[in-house]
Amino acid sequence: MLKGKKTLKVALAAIAATTLASGLLTGCSSGASAGTITYLTNQDAWTHADPQRNYTGRDIAWFGSYLNRTLTAYDRAPGAAGSAVVPDMATDTGRASNDNKTWEFTLRDGVTFEDGSAVTCEDIKYGVSRTFATDVITDGPTYAIGMLDIPTDPATGASTYKGPYSTDATNDVASFDKAITCSADHKTITFNLKRSVGDFNYTVTYLSFGPVPKAKDTGDQYDLSPVSTGPYKIKSYKAKDQMVLVRNDKWKADSDPLRAKRAFPDKIVVKFGVAAEVLDQTLLTDKNKTAVSLDALQPTNLTAVFDADGNPVKKYADRAINVYDPYVTYAAVNVKKLNCLPLRKAIYYAKDFKGLITLSGGQALAGDPADGAIKPLMGLDYAKTGLAEGDKDWKPEGNVEKAKALMDEAKTACPELYARATDPARGITYDTRDTEVAKKAAAIWIAALARVGITIKFNFIESGKYYAVVLDATKQGDLSAAGWAPDWANASTVIPELFTQEGGFPMSQNWDDPAYPAFKERVVANLSQADRKKQGAEWAALNQYAMDQQWIIPGVFSKTQEIWGSKIGGAFFWEPQGSLSFGDLYTK
Amino acid sequence: MFSKEAEQKITGHSPRELAWRRFKSNKVAIPALVIAVLISLAVIVAPLIYSVLGIDPEARDLSALDERGEIVGDSGGISWKHPFGVVPGIGYDTLARMLFGARVSFLIALAATFVTVILGLFFGIMGGYFRGRIDGVIGRFTDFLLAFPQFFMILALSAPLVDRIQRSGIAHDNEARILYLILIFSVFGWPYLSRIIRSQVISIRERDFVMSARALGASNTRILLKEVLPNVWTPIIIFVSLSLPGYLSAEAVFSYLGIGVQPPMPTLGVIIADSTHYMMNDATYFFIPSLTLILLVLVFNLLGDALRDALDPKSET
Repeated sequence: MLKGKKTLKVALAAIAATTLASGLLTGCSSGASAGTITYLTNQDAWTHADPQRNYTGRDIAWFGSYLNRTLTAYDRAPGAAGSAVVPDMATDTGRASNDNKTWEFTLRDGVTFEDGSAVTCEDIKYGVSRTFATDVITDGPTYAIGMLDIPTDPATGASTYKGPYSTDATNDVASFDKAITCSADHKTITFNLKRSVGDFNYTVTYLSFGPVPKAKDTGDQYDLSPVSTGPYKIKSYKAKDQMVLVRNDKWKADSDPLRAKRAFPDKIVVKFGVAAEVLDQTLLTDKNKTAVSLDALQPTNLTAVFDADGNPVKKYADRAINVYDPYVTYAAVNVKKLNCLPLRKAIYYAKDFKGLITLSGGQALAGDPADGAIKPLMGLDYAKTGLAEGDKDWKPEGNVEKAKALMDEAKTACPELYARATDPARGITYDTRDTEVAKKAAAIWIAALARVGITIKFNFIESGKYYAVVLDATKQGDLSAAGWAPDWANASTVIPELFTQEGGFPMSQNWDDPAYPAFKERVVANLSQADRKKQGAEWAALNQYAMDQQWIIPGVFSKTQEIWGSKIGGAFFWEPQGSLSFGDLYTK
Repeated sequence: MFSKEAEQKITGHSPRELAWRRFKSNKVAIPALVIAVLISLAVIVAPLIYSVLGIDPEARDLSALDERGEIVGDSGGISWKHPFGVVPGIGYDTLARMLFGARVSFLIALAATFVTVILGLFFGIMGGYFRGRIDGVIGRFTDFLLAFPQFFMILALSAPLVDRIQRSGIAHDNEARILYLILIFSVFGWPYLSRIIRSQVISIRERDFVMSARALGASNTRILLKEVLPNVWTPIIIFVSLSLPGYLSAEAVFSYLGIGVQPPMPTLGVIIADSTHYMMNDATYFFIPSLTLILLVLVFNLLGDALRDALDPKSET
């Protein structure tokens, strides 16, 4: 259900910090540098191991902890402190000038690749250049393309620079060379941006702003054997089997204060393709005491681990957590197809939030009904939108009367769409992943919308292909299950991504909506807003705007559950990445 | 004493009476028959049971669940309101779901059996009666089908064939999948029956009554319908009683593997597949559907065995 990534600050601190701070402290002091940690996952392989293609919080946290160093990184601390940016390969968190349009970072001494060669500014520049090769380097974040000062083709809106693999004579290498420049000693890298970005040092925490040695680059095959700059290196990696990491003896602890004291285990193993039920039972019965799950617990097993308040039961008290993750789930509305506000509102009011949340383990485990695309954890950027619990007409199990009234309105406002939605043979379509839980959820949706006469038909899509299908405008249905997390603690990574045509996750297809031009104008203006407080208030207002237009049907401000073996120490929830801080784990 | 013995000696018995006698003497036959009839009745009159018990396969009773979707109370929420308990997480009534599911499962099994019998009968009689070239072609074709790795064919053909059915517009979604299961079960099922019927027909066609009919100038059609067909009912009855539970469990297996009918529509297989996730936390919900399927298949198999012993005591099939 989820795409995109990361972050936030505040609030969750309460949960994560109190229950887990002790873990971190013992972790640092014990320094148990031995043992093997085994990660288990149902996935056949990593979605991507290529730093320029990695884009989920969990994977970035994992690779960032062990293999990929970046200029700056999130601090390894529980609670809100984890969202602070600290220097990693760079000596500081970056120096901005020229109205935040020029950012400069200097590399530390002793930063090397796994073959011992020094990481230079050119390696980072080459790494960033790969993002522009959008035909080869797919699925990664594209902030480099959107932010670096490189002209775009006025006809297509695409960058004139096509990446390092392009042999096209028109490839605009000159502009890219001007956008990223290196000092004579190969130590200082300068990024020239097309607009002011006050938090660019958050942007470069992405692995996609990390180094790749040009000589070792194998294009899309680099995904199978990325070169390490961290304390471990890949010994073997085979899909459907396992990945083994061993210590990188060329890594120098004194060049890496962030990881120096935390390179605990001697060996790290990731086992792929573990059946979901086997995986859960391995951890629930503590069969492998040094195992850590990379996957969410299955909803059917949640109640064995957590009590009605969402706290781990005694047996799992020190090896399971239940916390808010950075995601908001929702049903993306294809506004091009559902171009009828009363109908969209009717769907929102008819939706059975209570049934769906109960199905996922209840509010304490699944999360709270969402009132928009921005989570309260975003602090500055969040304000109540008057949806969900803030709406007097809203009912957890659905407000049938209100929805029916809206349907009557839709009947006159958009008779054609009304006829389709209420025709049992046609109806409206909902895309979702082909999972067992999704199929039960489908039954709840069907029953809920049937109460107001709407027929909804489900299109179950194979999990691995889900986003490839729904992000293809020709295949996207009327509604599509989706989830999004801000890429860092600024809703500039939410509102424009979700609701503008240029966004990275533009499933709303809302650019023909009469309400769109005014919205777009405000988004563009707010991106360059220098006053962070004003910017936050405007994001909240724009979130409200999108909800007033019902450009999404909100789901939940979701929670996540993590579980690990009894001989694993140091575990805490790393808020900005929405996962465990893998690099802090050690074997007891 | 005398009179009684004499009476017994002169009593005549029709083949039907003899069969019934042999059937009754089989110790498990009568209980199996009773249970099978009861289950079949329950499935047929399911809507009546819903209204009598006040249950509904589509209704979700969230009051039977706590905030987390866990069943309130012990033993899977069994109560007067929900005789077999409720489904965790979603709050369906288990009995209503099972009755509804059994209707779908029975529909698939009965339809597949029906098509299998028609095909098997047709090709078996054709091959056995006409022999020669027709028999050769049919025989090679049945060999060809029997040599197929059926299980893998059913797995492999599932996606493309269901897609084909949907695109042709005959049926959609689960209707298309039900159609697929019926088709594929029948296509791979008929060769077995066809072979039995063929051998039966080969022996019948040489019998005197067939010869006489032919001598009297009866047409092939008449001989087939009036002389041959009435004499192959025994293997058909046995085949039906044994293939019905076979198809019921096959449906469950394929639903478990995610082929065939997809949730939210329930079938026995879909319910069992779902219930396996609750094996640890809600054992009641896991055991009730599984034991029901075992019971169902068991009684139909016992019934089939008893029928075979009664109708065809010498047969080894």
